[in-house]
Amino acid sequence: MSGHKCSYPWDLQDRYPQDKSVVNKMQQKYWETKQAFIKATGKKEDEHVVASDADLDAKLELFHSIQRTCLDLSKAIVLYQKRICFLSQEENELGKFLRSQGFQDKTRAGKMMQATGKALCFSSQQRLALRNPLCRFHQEVETFRHRAISDTWLTVNRMEQCRTEYRGALLWMKDVSQELDPDLYKQMEKFRKVQTQVRLAKKNFDKLKMDVCQKVDLLGASRCNLLSHMLATYQTTLLHFWEKTSHTMAAIHESFKGYQPYEFTTLKVKLEGPLENLERSKVLFISQAKSIAESIIMSGLRMPKRELCLQQSLFFTVSGFIMIIHCNPKAQIQPS
Amino acid sequence: MTYAYLFKYIIIGDTGVGKSCLLLQFTDKRFQPVHDLTIGVEFGARMVNIDGKQIKLQIWDTAGQESFRSITRSYYRGAAGALLVYDITRRETFNHLTSWLEDARQHSSSNMVIMLIGNKSDLESRRDVKREEGEAFAREHGLIFMETSAKTACNVEEAFINTAKEIYRKIQQGLFDVHNEANGIKIGPQQSISTSVGPSASQRNSRDIGSNSGCC
Repeated sequence: MSGHKCSYPWDLQDRYPQDKSVVNKMQQKYWETKQAFIKATGKKEDEHVVASDADLDAKLELFHSIQRTCLDLSKAIVLYQKRICFLSQEENELGKFLRSQGFQDKTRAGKMMQATGKALCFSSQQRLALRNPLCRFHQEVETFRHRAISDTWLTVNRMEQCRTEYRGALLWMKDVSQELDPDLYKQMEKFRKVQTQVRLAKKNFDKLKMDVCQKVDLLGASRCNLLSHMLATYQTTLLHFWEKTSHTMAAIHESFKGYQPYEFTTLKVKLEGPLENLERSKVLFISQAKSIAESIIMSGLRMPKRELCLQQSLFFTVSGFIMIIHCNPKAQIQPS
Repeated sequence: MTYAYLFKYIIIGDTGVGKSCLLLQFTDKRFQPVHDLTIGVEFGARMVNIDGKQIKLQIWDTAGQESFRSITRSYYRGAAGALLVYDITRRETFNHLTSWLEDARQHSSSNMVIMLIGNKSDLESRRDVKREEGEAFAREHGLIFMETSAKTACNVEEAFINTAKEIYRKIQQGLFDVHNEANGIKIGPQQSISTSVGPSASQRNSRDIGSNSGCC
Protein backbone atom coordinates (compact mmCIF):
# COMPACT_ATOMS: atom_id res chain seq x y z
CA MET A 1 0.00 0.00 0.00
CA SER A 2 1.70 3.09 -1.15
CA GLY A 3 1.14 6.33 -2.94
CA HIS A 4 0.28 8.59 -0.05
CA LYS A 5 -1.15 11.80 -1.27
CA CYS A 6 -3.17 14.15 0.75
CA SER A 7 -3.89 17.82 0.65
CA TYR A 8 -4.93 19.69 3.76
CA PRO A 9 -5.84 23.26 4.40
CA TRP A 10 -2.84 23.77 6.64
CA ASP A 11 -0.55 22.58 3.86
CA LEU A 12 -2.27 24.82 1.41
CA GLN A 13 -2.20 28.17 3.15
CA ASP A 14 0.91 29.20 1.28
CA ARG A 15 0.03 27.60 -1.98
CA TYR A 16 -3.30 29.31 -2.27
CA PRO A 17 -3.06 32.88 -1.09
CA GLN A 18 -6.06 35.05 -1.67
CA ASP A 19 -6.46 35.85 -5.33
CA LYS A 20 -6.48 39.61 -5.66
CA SER A 21 -7.01 39.75 -9.39
CA VAL A 22 -9.75 41.84 -10.96
CA VAL A 23 -11.49 38.78 -12.37
CA ASN A 24 -11.65 37.21 -8.95
CA LYS A 25 -12.96 40.43 -7.42
CA MET A 26 -15.63 40.62 -10.09
CA GLN A 27 -16.70 37.03 -9.54
CA GLN A 28 -16.79 37.59 -5.81
CA LYS A 29 -18.92 40.68 -6.27
CA TYR A 30 -21.21 38.77 -8.59
CA TRP A 31 -22.01 36.14 -5.97
CA GLU A 32 -22.28 38.71 -3.25
CA THR A 33 -24.79 40.64 -5.33
CA LYS A 34 -26.65 37.47 -6.07
CA GLN A 35 -26.93 36.76 -2.36
CA ALA A 36 -28.02 40.33 -1.64
CA PHE A 37 -30.61 39.98 -4.37
CA ILE A 38 -31.93 36.70 -2.97
CA LYS A 39 -32.27 38.30 0.42
CA ALA A 40 -33.85 41.49 -0.85
CA THR A 41 -36.44 39.70 -2.97
CA GLY A 42 -37.27 37.39 -0.07
CA LYS A 43 -36.46 34.27 -2.05
CA LYS A 44 -35.99 31.16 0.01
CA GLU A 45 -32.46 30.92 1.27
CA ASP A 46 -30.57 27.71 1.93
CA GLU A 47 -32.31 26.34 5.01
CA HIS A 48 -29.15 24.86 6.47
CA VAL A 49 -27.25 28.09 6.13
CA VAL A 50 -30.14 29.94 7.77
CA ALA A 51 -30.39 27.33 10.53
CA SER A 52 -26.69 27.61 11.28
CA ASP A 53 -27.24 31.28 12.11
CA ALA A 54 -30.22 30.63 14.39
CA ASP A 55 -28.46 31.79 17.55
CA LEU A 56 -27.32 34.96 15.86
CA ASP A 57 -30.79 35.69 14.51
CA ALA A 58 -32.28 35.22 17.96
CA LYS A 59 -29.83 37.78 19.31
CA LEU A 60 -30.72 40.16 16.51
CA GLU A 61 -34.38 39.77 17.38
CA LEU A 62 -33.56 40.75 20.94
CA PHE A 63 -31.53 43.69 19.71
CA HIS A 64 -34.39 44.99 17.59
CA SER A 65 -36.74 44.64 20.51
CA ILE A 66 -34.38 46.64 22.72
CA GLN A 67 -34.09 49.26 20.04
CA ARG A 68 -37.87 49.52 19.58
CA THR A 69 -38.88 49.48 23.22
CA CYS A 70 -36.26 52.04 24.20
CA LEU A 71 -37.65 54.45 21.64
CA ASP A 72 -41.17 53.77 22.90
CA LEU A 73 -40.08 54.29 26.46
CA SER A 74 -38.38 57.55 25.61
CA LYS A 75 -41.56 58.82 23.93
CA ALA A 76 -43.71 57.66 26.82
CA ILE A 77 -41.58 59.50 29.34
CA VAL A 78 -41.88 62.75 27.39
CA LEU A 79 -45.64 62.40 27.17
CA TYR A 80 -45.98 61.48 30.81
CA GLN A 81 -43.91 64.45 31.86
CA LYS A 82 -45.95 66.82 29.74
CA ARG A 83 -49.19 65.56 31.21
CA ILE A 84 -47.91 65.84 34.73
CA CYS A 85 -47.24 69.47 33.93
CA PHE A 86 -50.72 70.01 32.53
CA LEU A 87 -52.35 68.30 35.45
CA SER A 88 -50.31 70.29 37.89
CA GLN A 89 -51.38 73.50 36.18
CA GLU A 90 -55.04 72.55 36.22
CA GLU A 91 -54.82 71.42 39.79
CA ASN A 92 -53.28 74.70 40.75
CA GLU A 93 -55.97 76.66 38.88
CA LEU A 94 -58.67 74.69 40.59
CA GLY A 95 -57.05 75.27 43.97
CA LYS A 96 -56.81 79.01 43.38
CA PHE A 97 -60.39 79.11 42.16
CA LEU A 98 -61.64 77.24 45.21
CA ARG A 99 -59.80 79.54 47.54
CA SER A 100 -61.12 82.70 45.94
CA GLN A 101 -64.67 81.30 45.96
CA GLY A 102 -64.23 80.14 49.54
CA PHE A 103 -63.46 83.64 50.71
CA GLN A 104 -66.78 84.86 49.37
CA ASP A 105 -68.78 82.02 50.88
CA LYS A 106 -69.27 82.44 54.60
CA THR A 107 -70.89 79.05 55.21
CA ARG A 108 -69.16 75.83 56.12
CA ALA A 109 -68.92 75.05 52.43
CA GLY A 110 -66.74 78.12 52.06
CA LYS A 111 -64.40 76.80 54.72
CA MET A 112 -64.23 73.47 52.98
CA MET A 113 -63.47 75.15 49.70
CA GLN A 114 -60.65 77.17 51.17
CA ALA A 115 -59.06 74.20 52.82
CA THR A 116 -59.42 72.08 49.74
CA GLY A 117 -58.06 74.81 47.51
CA LYS A 118 -55.00 75.10 49.67
CA ALA A 119 -54.46 71.38 49.60
CA LEU A 120 -54.81 71.29 45.85
CA CYS A 121 -52.25 74.07 45.36
CA PHE A 122 -49.86 72.20 47.60
CA SER A 123 -50.41 68.97 45.76
CA SER A 124 -49.87 70.65 42.39
CA GLN A 125 -46.50 71.95 43.53
CA GLN A 126 -45.49 68.61 44.94
CA ARG A 127 -46.51 66.87 41.78
CA LEU A 128 -43.95 68.86 39.80
CA ALA A 129 -41.20 67.20 41.80
CA LEU A 130 -41.89 64.07 39.79
CA ARG A 131 -40.43 65.77 36.77
CA ASN A 132 -36.87 65.68 38.07
CA PRO A 133 -36.39 61.93 38.12
CA LEU A 134 -38.33 61.63 34.88
CA CYS A 135 -36.12 64.22 33.18
CA ARG A 136 -33.07 62.37 34.35
CA PHE A 137 -34.57 59.09 33.23
CA HIS A 138 -35.29 60.51 29.81
CA GLN A 139 -31.75 61.79 29.45
CA GLU A 140 -30.34 58.42 30.43
CA VAL A 141 -32.55 56.54 28.00
CA GLU A 142 -31.56 58.94 25.21
CA THR A 143 -27.88 58.57 26.01
CA PHE A 144 -28.32 54.82 26.02
CA ARG A 145 -30.00 54.96 22.65
CA HIS A 146 -27.43 57.24 21.07
CA ARG A 147 -24.36 55.57 22.46
CA ALA A 148 -24.91 51.94 23.31
CA ILE A 149 -27.64 51.08 20.85
CA SER A 150 -26.17 52.92 17.89
CA ASP A 151 -22.76 51.40 18.58
CA THR A 152 -24.26 47.92 18.54
CA TRP A 153 -26.20 48.85 15.46
CA LEU A 154 -22.94 49.65 13.64
CA THR A 155 -21.54 46.26 14.56
CA VAL A 156 -24.76 44.62 13.41
CA ASN A 157 -24.47 46.37 10.07
CA ARG A 158 -20.87 45.33 9.63
CA MET A 159 -21.85 41.78 10.51
CA GLU A 160 -24.68 41.81 7.97
CA GLN A 161 -22.22 42.95 5.32
CA CYS A 162 -19.90 40.07 6.18
CA ARG A 163 -22.83 37.68 6.29
CA THR A 164 -23.75 38.63 2.73
CA GLU A 165 -20.13 38.13 1.67
CA TYR A 166 -19.98 34.77 3.39
CA ARG A 167 -23.27 33.51 2.03
CA GLY A 168 -22.32 34.79 -1.41
CA ALA A 169 -19.07 32.85 -1.17
CA LEU A 170 -21.05 29.75 -0.15
CA LEU A 171 -23.24 30.14 -3.23
CA TRP A 172 -20.12 30.37 -5.31
CA MET A 173 -18.67 27.28 -3.68
CA LYS A 174 -21.87 25.38 -4.27
CA ASP A 175 -21.67 26.36 -7.90
CA VAL A 176 -18.09 25.16 -8.41
CA SER A 177 -18.83 21.99 -6.46
CA GLN A 178 -21.32 20.73 -8.99
CA GLU A 179 -18.87 19.01 -11.30
CA LEU A 180 -15.84 18.73 -9.11
CA ASP A 181 -13.16 16.17 -9.89
CA PRO A 182 -10.02 16.28 -7.74
CA ASP A 183 -7.96 14.73 -10.51
CA LEU A 184 -8.67 17.55 -12.90
CA TYR A 185 -6.13 20.24 -12.22
CA LYS A 186 -8.10 23.08 -13.78
CA GLN A 187 -11.18 22.43 -11.69
CA MET A 188 -9.23 22.03 -8.51
CA GLU A 189 -7.41 25.27 -9.10
CA LYS A 190 -10.73 27.04 -9.30
CA PHE A 191 -12.13 25.22 -6.31
CA ARG A 192 -9.12 26.17 -4.17
CA LYS A 193 -9.58 29.78 -5.12
CA VAL A 194 -13.20 29.76 -4.00
CA GLN A 195 -12.31 27.79 -0.91
CA THR A 196 -9.84 30.46 0.11
CA GLN A 197 -12.56 33.02 -0.42
CA VAL A 198 -15.03 31.10 1.72
CA ARG A 199 -12.47 30.55 4.46
CA LEU A 200 -11.67 34.24 4.60
CA ALA A 201 -15.31 35.33 4.53
CA LYS A 202 -16.16 32.78 7.19
CA LYS A 203 -13.39 34.00 9.43
CA ASN A 204 -14.59 37.59 9.19
CA PHE A 205 -18.21 36.64 9.63
CA ASP A 206 -17.59 34.35 12.61
CA LYS A 207 -15.67 37.07 14.38
CA LEU A 208 -18.41 39.65 13.87
CA LYS A 209 -21.05 37.10 14.73
CA MET A 210 -19.46 36.62 18.10
CA ASP A 211 -19.05 40.38 18.53
CA VAL A 212 -22.73 40.95 17.86
CA CYS A 213 -23.85 38.22 20.25
CA GLN A 214 -21.65 39.55 23.03
CA LYS A 215 -22.63 43.15 22.44
CA VAL A 216 -26.35 42.39 22.46
CA ASP A 217 -25.99 40.46 25.71
CA LEU A 218 -24.13 43.34 27.24
CA LEU A 219 -26.69 45.80 25.91
CA GLY A 220 -29.54 43.89 27.52
CA ALA A 221 -27.74 43.66 30.83
CA SER A 222 -26.79 47.33 30.91
CA ARG A 223 -30.34 48.36 30.10
CA CYS A 224 -31.65 46.32 33.00
CA ASN A 225 -29.13 48.06 35.16
CA LEU A 226 -30.15 51.48 33.88
CA LEU A 227 -33.84 50.79 34.40
CA SER A 228 -33.48 49.47 37.90
CA HIS A 229 -31.47 52.53 38.90
CA MET A 230 -33.69 55.09 37.26
CA LEU A 231 -36.99 53.57 38.20
CA ALA A 232 -35.91 53.29 41.81
CA THR A 233 -35.35 57.04 41.94
CA TYR A 234 -38.66 57.68 40.26
CA GLN A 235 -40.43 55.36 42.63
CA THR A 236 -38.96 57.03 45.70
CA THR A 237 -40.06 60.46 44.49
CA LEU A 238 -43.52 59.19 43.63
CA LEU A 239 -43.95 57.60 47.04
CA HIS A 240 -42.72 60.76 48.67
CA PHE A 241 -45.27 62.80 46.74
CA TRP A 242 -48.08 60.45 47.67
CA GLU A 243 -47.09 60.42 51.27
CA LYS A 244 -47.11 64.20 51.51
CA THR A 245 -50.33 64.83 49.61
CA SER A 246 -52.25 61.97 51.15
CA HIS A 247 -51.21 63.28 54.53
CA THR A 248 -52.61 66.73 53.67
CA MET A 249 -55.77 65.29 52.18
CA ALA A 250 -56.29 63.02 55.15
CA ALA A 251 -56.02 66.04 57.45
CA ILE A 252 -58.76 67.90 55.57
CA HIS A 253 -60.86 64.79 55.46
CA GLU A 254 -60.57 64.61 59.22
CA SER A 255 -61.56 68.25 59.67
CA PHE A 256 -64.66 67.80 57.47
CA LYS A 257 -66.07 65.19 59.83
CA GLY A 258 -69.52 66.03 60.99
CA TYR A 259 -70.16 68.22 57.96
CA GLN A 260 -73.17 67.46 55.90
CA PRO A 261 -72.36 64.96 53.17
CA TYR A 262 -73.54 65.61 49.62
CA GLU A 263 -74.43 63.41 46.71
CA PHE A 264 -73.20 64.30 43.26
CA THR A 265 -74.45 63.38 39.86
CA THR A 266 -72.42 65.18 37.17
CA LEU A 267 -68.92 64.44 38.26
CA LYS A 268 -67.44 62.54 35.35
CA VAL A 269 -68.25 65.00 32.60
CA LYS A 270 -66.52 67.83 34.38
CA LEU A 271 -63.31 66.03 35.10
CA GLU A 272 -62.41 64.85 31.64
CA GLY A 273 -59.16 66.32 30.51
CA PRO A 274 -55.84 66.54 32.23
CA LEU A 275 -56.46 63.93 34.87
CA GLU A 276 -57.60 61.34 32.40
CA ASN A 277 -54.78 62.21 30.06
CA LEU A 278 -52.38 61.81 32.90
CA GLU A 279 -53.84 58.48 33.81
CA ARG A 280 -53.54 57.40 30.23
CA SER A 281 -49.93 58.46 29.86
CA LYS A 282 -49.13 56.99 33.23
CA VAL A 283 -50.60 53.72 32.11
CA LEU A 284 -48.61 53.95 28.89
CA PHE A 285 -45.47 54.74 30.80
CA ILE A 286 -45.95 51.91 33.20
CA SER A 287 -46.79 49.44 30.47
CA GLN A 288 -43.59 50.38 28.65
CA ALA A 289 -41.51 50.02 31.72
CA LYS A 290 -43.26 46.79 32.46
CA SER A 291 -42.73 45.28 29.07
CA ILE A 292 -39.05 45.97 29.35
CA ALA A 293 -38.02 45.28 32.84
CA GLU A 294 -40.57 42.60 33.62
CA SER A 295 -40.36 41.12 37.02
CA ILE A 296 -37.39 42.90 38.54
CA ILE A 297 -38.73 46.34 38.01
CA MET A 298 -42.35 45.51 38.48
CA SER A 299 -41.76 44.36 41.98
CA GLY A 300 -40.45 47.87 42.65
CA LEU A 301 -43.26 49.66 40.83
CA ARG A 302 -46.14 48.28 42.82
CA MET A 303 -48.15 51.20 44.04
CA PRO A 304 -49.53 51.73 47.48
CA LYS A 305 -53.11 51.30 46.32
CA ARG A 306 -54.76 52.37 49.51
CA GLU A 307 -53.10 55.75 49.57
CA LEU A 308 -53.71 56.38 45.93
CA CYS A 309 -57.38 55.59 46.33
CA LEU A 310 -57.76 57.75 49.36
CA GLN A 311 -56.10 60.66 47.69
CA GLN A 312 -58.02 60.37 44.50
CA SER A 313 -61.43 59.85 46.03
CA LEU A 314 -60.92 62.89 48.16
CA PHE A 315 -59.85 64.90 45.19
CA PHE A 316 -62.84 63.74 43.19
CA THR A 317 -65.25 64.35 46.01
CA VAL A 318 -64.15 67.82 46.87
CA SER A 319 -63.54 69.16 43.44
CA GLY A 320 -66.72 67.58 42.11
CA PHE A 321 -68.70 69.21 44.85
CA ILE A 322 -67.27 72.65 44.12
CA MET A 323 -67.78 72.26 40.41
CA ILE A 324 -71.39 71.51 40.86
CA ILE A 325 -72.03 74.44 43.07
CA HIS A 326 -70.13 76.98 41.02
CA CYS A 327 -70.16 75.84 37.47
CA ASN A 328 -73.52 74.23 37.30
CA PRO A 329 -75.80 76.05 39.72
CA LYS A 330 -78.87 74.26 38.41
CA ALA A 331 -77.60 70.85 39.39
CA GLN A 332 -79.56 69.16 42.12
CA ILE A 333 -77.77 68.93 45.39
CA GLN A 334 -79.46 66.69 47.79
CA PRO A 335 -78.35 66.58 51.36
CA SER A 336 -78.79 63.00 52.40
CA MET B 1 0.90 4.97 -10.44
CA THR B 2 -1.27 2.42 -12.15
CA TYR B 3 -4.27 0.96 -10.51
CA ALA B 4 -6.96 -1.54 -11.39
CA TYR B 5 -9.80 0.46 -9.96
CA LEU B 6 -10.45 3.82 -8.44
CA PHE B 7 -13.09 4.01 -5.73
CA LYS B 8 -14.59 7.28 -4.69
CA TYR B 9 -15.20 7.55 -0.96
CA ILE B 10 -17.00 10.23 0.91
CA ILE B 11 -16.66 10.88 4.64
CA ILE B 12 -19.70 12.44 6.28
CA GLY B 13 -20.95 13.23 9.77
CA ASP B 14 -21.38 16.08 12.23
CA THR B 15 -18.73 18.70 12.75
CA GLY B 16 -15.91 17.74 15.09
CA VAL B 17 -16.40 13.97 14.99
CA GLY B 18 -12.95 13.47 13.49
CA LYS B 19 -13.56 13.02 9.78
CA SER B 20 -10.44 14.90 8.74
CA CYS B 21 -8.41 13.15 11.43
CA LEU B 22 -9.47 9.75 10.15
CA LEU B 23 -8.39 10.71 6.67
CA LEU B 24 -5.09 12.13 7.88
CA GLN B 25 -4.42 8.98 9.87
CA PHE B 26 -5.24 6.79 6.90
CA THR B 27 -3.22 8.68 4.30
CA ASP B 28 -0.36 10.17 6.32
CA LYS B 29 -0.37 7.95 9.42
CA ARG B 30 -0.29 10.88 11.75
CA PHE B 31 -2.64 12.57 14.15
CA GLN B 32 -3.19 16.25 14.56
CA PRO B 33 -5.20 17.09 17.68
CA VAL B 34 -6.03 20.66 16.77
CA HIS B 35 -7.02 21.59 13.32
CA ASP B 36 -8.85 23.97 11.08
CA LEU B 37 -12.45 23.51 10.09
CA THR B 38 -12.86 21.86 6.75
CA ILE B 39 -14.19 24.34 4.24
CA GLY B 40 -16.40 22.56 1.73
CA VAL B 41 -14.30 19.50 1.05
CA GLU B 42 -10.74 18.24 1.23
CA PHE B 43 -9.24 15.36 -0.67
CA GLY B 44 -7.02 12.46 0.10
CA ALA B 45 -5.89 9.45 -1.89
CA ARG B 46 -4.14 6.19 -1.15
CA MET B 47 -3.43 2.92 -2.86
CA VAL B 48 -4.63 -0.24 -1.24
CA ASN B 49 -4.25 -3.82 -2.28
CA ILE B 50 -7.28 -6.02 -2.37
CA ASP B 51 -6.94 -9.53 -3.65
CA GLY B 52 -3.70 -8.66 -5.36
CA LYS B 53 -5.30 -5.73 -7.18
CA GLN B 54 -4.11 -2.19 -6.77
CA ILE B 55 -7.02 0.00 -5.91
CA LYS B 56 -6.82 3.73 -5.60
CA LEU B 57 -9.08 5.23 -2.96
CA GLN B 58 -10.03 8.79 -3.73
CA ILE B 59 -11.42 10.15 -0.51
CA TRP B 60 -13.63 13.20 -0.20
CA ASP B 61 -13.52 14.56 3.30
CA THR B 62 -16.54 16.82 3.62
CA ALA B 63 -17.27 19.72 5.95
CA GLY B 64 -19.53 18.79 8.82
CA GLN B 65 -20.71 22.26 9.74
CA GLU B 66 -24.34 22.89 9.06
CA SER B 67 -23.80 25.84 6.74
CA PHE B 68 -22.02 23.52 4.30
CA ARG B 69 -24.74 20.92 4.27
CA SER B 70 -26.19 21.89 0.90
CA ILE B 71 -22.76 22.10 -0.66
CA THR B 72 -21.82 18.70 0.74
CA ARG B 73 -24.80 17.16 -1.02
CA SER B 74 -23.22 17.75 -4.38
CA TYR B 75 -20.25 15.59 -3.32
CA TYR B 76 -22.28 12.43 -2.84
CA ARG B 77 -22.76 12.00 -6.54
CA GLY B 78 -20.72 9.12 -7.85
CA ALA B 79 -19.40 7.86 -4.52
CA ALA B 80 -18.89 4.11 -4.24
CA GLY B 81 -18.41 4.14 -0.49
CA ALA B 82 -19.34 6.38 2.38
CA LEU B 83 -17.89 6.58 5.87
CA LEU B 84 -20.60 7.85 8.16
CA VAL B 85 -18.84 9.02 11.31
CA TYR B 86 -20.11 9.88 14.78
CA ASP B 87 -18.32 10.69 18.00
CA ILE B 88 -18.84 8.10 20.75
CA THR B 89 -18.39 10.82 23.37
CA ARG B 90 -21.16 13.05 22.02
CA ARG B 91 -24.61 11.54 21.79
CA GLU B 92 -26.03 14.26 19.57
CA THR B 93 -23.65 13.25 16.78
CA PHE B 94 -25.16 9.77 17.04
CA ASN B 95 -28.69 11.15 17.07
CA HIS B 96 -28.05 13.01 13.83
CA LEU B 97 -27.09 9.83 11.97
CA THR B 98 -30.58 9.32 10.55
CA SER B 99 -30.54 12.69 8.84
CA TRP B 100 -27.06 12.04 7.41
CA LEU B 101 -28.15 8.64 6.21
CA GLU B 102 -31.19 10.13 4.56
CA ASP B 103 -28.97 12.62 2.74
CA ALA B 104 -26.60 9.86 1.68
CA ARG B 105 -29.32 7.57 0.35
CA GLN B 106 -31.03 10.40 -1.46
CA HIS B 107 -28.00 11.80 -3.23
CA SER B 108 -26.04 8.72 -4.16
CA SER B 109 -26.48 5.47 -5.97
CA SER B 110 -28.38 2.77 -4.11
CA ASN B 111 -25.38 0.44 -4.26
CA MET B 112 -23.14 2.74 -2.27
CA VAL B 113 -21.47 0.87 0.57
CA ILE B 114 -21.89 2.71 3.85
CA MET B 115 -19.60 2.11 6.79
CA LEU B 116 -20.78 3.43 10.14
CA ILE B 117 -17.90 4.58 12.29
CA GLY B 118 -17.96 5.40 15.99
CA ASN B 119 -14.80 7.45 16.33
CA LYS B 120 -12.70 8.44 19.37
CA SER B 121 -12.79 4.96 20.89
CA ASP B 122 -9.65 5.91 22.84
CA LEU B 123 -11.80 8.16 25.03
CA GLU B 124 -13.46 5.23 26.77
CA SER B 125 -13.94 7.17 30.01
CA ARG B 126 -16.03 9.81 28.26
CA ARG B 127 -18.07 7.36 26.23
CA ASP B 128 -21.67 8.49 25.73
CA VAL B 129 -22.84 6.02 23.08
CA LYS B 130 -22.60 2.31 23.75
CA ARG B 131 -20.96 0.09 21.21
CA GLU B 132 -24.14 -2.01 21.08
CA GLU B 133 -26.18 1.01 20.08
CA GLY B 134 -23.90 1.62 17.12
CA GLU B 135 -24.13 -2.03 16.16
CA ALA B 136 -27.90 -1.99 16.44
CA PHE B 137 -28.17 1.12 14.28
CA ALA B 138 -25.93 -0.43 11.65
CA ARG B 139 -27.90 -3.68 11.66
CA GLU B 140 -31.17 -1.85 11.34
CA HIS B 141 -30.02 0.19 8.36
CA GLY B 142 -27.85 -2.40 6.66
CA LEU B 143 -24.49 -0.72 7.30
CA ILE B 144 -21.11 -2.11 8.25
CA PHE B 145 -20.03 -0.98 11.71
CA MET B 146 -16.72 -0.28 13.39
CA GLU B 147 -15.38 1.73 16.26
CA THR B 148 -12.15 3.53 15.50
CA SER B 149 -9.67 5.91 16.99
CA ALA B 150 -8.00 8.35 14.68
CA LYS B 151 -5.65 9.17 17.54
CA THR B 152 -4.31 5.68 18.19
CA ALA B 153 -4.95 4.57 14.57
CA CYS B 154 -6.99 1.70 15.92
CA ASN B 155 -9.23 0.20 13.21
CA VAL B 156 -8.64 3.13 10.86
CA GLU B 157 -6.95 1.01 8.18
CA GLU B 158 -9.59 -1.65 8.61
CA ALA B 159 -12.46 0.80 8.22
CA PHE B 160 -11.20 2.05 4.88
CA ILE B 161 -10.05 -1.32 3.63
CA ASN B 162 -13.12 -3.27 4.68
CA THR B 163 -15.25 -0.76 2.81
CA ALA B 164 -13.08 -1.28 -0.24
CA LYS B 165 -13.40 -5.05 0.12
CA GLU B 166 -17.15 -4.77 0.28
CA ILE B 167 -17.22 -2.62 -2.85
CA TYR B 168 -14.90 -5.07 -4.55
CA ARG B 169 -17.16 -7.93 -3.58
CA LYS B 170 -20.13 -6.12 -5.05
CA ILE B 171 -18.20 -5.65 -8.28
CA GLN B 172 -17.49 -9.36 -8.34
CA GLN B 173 -21.14 -10.08 -7.85
CA GLY B 174 -21.92 -7.75 -10.71
CA LEU B 175 -23.92 -5.34 -8.56
CA PHE B 176 -21.79 -2.43 -9.71
CA ASP B 177 -21.52 -1.48 -13.33
CA VAL B 178 -17.86 -0.52 -13.51
CA HIS B 179 -18.35 1.29 -16.78
CA ASN B 180 -20.82 3.68 -15.31
CA GLU B 181 -18.87 6.39 -13.56
CA ALA B 182 -21.95 7.42 -11.60
CA ASN B 183 -21.24 4.41 -9.39
CA GLY B 184 -18.00 5.95 -8.21
CA ILE B 185 -15.77 3.34 -9.75
CA LYS B 186 -13.26 3.94 -12.48
CA ILE B 187 -11.17 1.39 -14.20
CA GLY B 188 -7.52 2.28 -14.12
CA PRO B 189 -5.57 3.36 -17.19
CA GLN B 190 -4.23 0.57 -19.46
CA GLN B 191 -6.18 -2.00 -17.61
CA SER B 192 -8.02 -4.73 -19.38
CA ILE B 193 -11.44 -5.28 -18.01
CA SER B 194 -10.93 -8.69 -16.57
CA THR B 195 -13.03 -8.96 -13.50
CA SER B 196 -13.03 -12.73 -13.56
CA VAL B 197 -11.61 -13.29 -10.13
CA GLY B 198 -12.62 -16.58 -8.66
CA PRO B 199 -15.76 -16.42 -6.54
CA SER B 200 -14.04 -18.28 -3.72
CA ALA B 201 -11.61 -15.41 -3.20
CA SER B 202 -14.33 -12.81 -3.03
CA GLN B 203 -16.30 -14.97 -0.63
CA ARG B 204 -13.38 -15.12 1.72
CA ASN B 205 -13.06 -11.34 1.57
CA SER B 206 -16.63 -10.76 2.37
CA ARG B 207 -16.31 -12.89 5.48
CA ASP B 208 -13.49 -10.65 6.69
CA ILE B 209 -15.70 -7.66 6.57
CA GLY B 210 -17.11 -6.58 9.84
CA SER B 211 -14.80 -8.74 11.92
CA ASN B 212 -12.79 -6.24 13.84
CA SER B 213 -9.20 -6.66 14.82
CA GLY B 214 -10.27 -6.42 18.40
CA CYS B 215 -7.97 -3.67 19.51
CA CYS B 216 -10.81 -1.34 20.34
